[in-house]
Amino acid sequence: MTNRYVSEMVARAIAVSMLVLVWFSASAQEPGKNTKKVRYPGAVRPTKAPPPGPPGPVPRMPDGKPDLSGVWNAQRELPGDPEPDMLPWAAALTKQRTENYSADDPEARCVPGGVPRATPYHVQMVSTPKLILILFEGNIHTFRQIFLDRTEHLKIAQPLWYGDSIGHWEGDTLVVDTIGFNDKFWFDMAGHPHTTQLHVIERYHRRDYGNMDVEVTIIDPGAYTKPWVQHRVQILTPDADILEYVCNENNQDPGHLEGDTH
Amino acid sequence: MRKRLSNTLLPSVAVGAGLLLGVSPAWAQHGKNEGPAPRALDGKVDLSGVWTVSGSTDLPSDPAYLPAAKKLYEERKASGGKGDPEKQCLPNGVVRIEPLPYKIVQTPKLVVLLSEGNTHSYRRFFLDGRPHNLDLEPNTWNGNSIGHWEGDTLVVDTIGFNDKSWLDSTGKPHSEALHVIERYSRPDLNHLQIAYNLDDPQMFSQPYTFTRTFTRVIGRDLKEYFCAMNSFVGK
Repeated sequence: MTNRYVSEMVARAIAVSMLVLVWFSASAQEPGKNTKKVRYPGAVRPTKAPPPGPPGPVPRMPDGKPDLSGVWNAQRELPGDPEPDMLPWAAALTKQRTENYSADDPEARCVPGGVPRATPYHVQMVSTPKLILILFEGNIHTFRQIFLDRTEHLKIAQPLWYGDSIGHWEGDTLVVDTIGFNDKFWFDMAGHPHTTQLHVIERYHRRDYGNMDVEVTIIDPGAYTKPWVQHRVQILTPDADILEYVCNENNQDPGHLEGDTH
Repeated sequence: MRKRLSNTLLPSVAVGAGLLLGVSPAWAQHGKNEGPAPRALDGKVDLSGVWTVSGSTDLPSDPAYLPAAKKLYEERKASGGKGDPEKQCLPNGVVRIEPLPYKIVQTPKLVVLLSEGNTHSYRRFFLDGRPHNLDLEPNTWNGNSIGHWEGDTLVVDTIGFNDKSWLDSTGKPHSEALHVIERYSRPDLNHLQIAYNLDDPQMFSQPYTFTRTFTRVIGRDLKEYFCAMNSFVGK
């Protein structure tokens, strides 16, 4: 755990530093640009896709559907997606969070990352005919359940970090529809916000053995003027395993914990 | 443990101790439909379902502790639970359980045990024939679990623990040498049994065995529970 944690945190720190430099230079070149479309450090789009995963046919379940099971690398965004169109308050909040170097990122407090935040850590997917699990290595070491045995959402009394996810197959694509979110998590390190109106649609397509295309559509009229579509890829890592990442074991913010403070 | 559950259900404490979402007081129900345990497609008993423990979550008695371990246990008891990992939102490990439900998701080569409470996390039992592998992580809260079927019983063998978790809420200690064998069986539709065999030659003078019975939870899946985070719960 330690090696991967350190290397990923170092990588994140380097990435943030570089992105901040890019952002400052971009800001200097484009003074007065409309803030609704400005690129924020954590939101700079990748310039190339990650190397492809191992080739081979798509594994299938006994019922013929693609088997999405496996240990996968973190989802990476692909180049080419435009910046989201935000309402002014959301753009201003993103800018503020970014300028504050993501210091208030809830994820750093060991709270759930929500949907559709991609973590730097591996995930394991477990396919069954009526339920698909996504097990997160980090941050935090928890899980999502995608229910394929119902077509209607539960009545959500209290908003959730991961919402209520129901899925169905369209051909070989798993379509996951999620609502019922709280507004506490960020979509990314840039701090893109949302409201409890958030509705996320994820389309998982295991293109071959080692590569999963993931299209994410973020619909939130409370924060975005139109749906924000992201194209991502998830690479199979058949020789890797998810590790036991325990965020609270190294929580630098223990004052928020109940244990020693009451 | 009963006391702790009722504490958790008090809203004022829930903000401090965790985010507990809408727990119904009647979530442990016996189904009207009695019957035998269902079978998975591969013919094995299907352990899948949502389960909650019947009776106490604490161990029924004390393991035969060696003197140093006994002393540590007495110190923890005398301190009133100070240093309880669970209170710091750290994992319970394998032996300590919560009164909140668990869910088993069974596939032929992997069984996943999801936990609503504690860290709202999971354990994985590998049934694909791999041996224990502690190369990457020699000492973890949940250890490394491999499983196999003996008839209708799933036998789960776990080693590779850290020594930080408590065996129950009273502070029963264990060392990194802890070796846990769990035998999962489903005697009928509505019941799950786990027979435990704990061995810890550094702390026990002999293995410790006990059995827990779980009741099927009907009409309710796991709810989203996350420990602590009170500063964010309030925002």
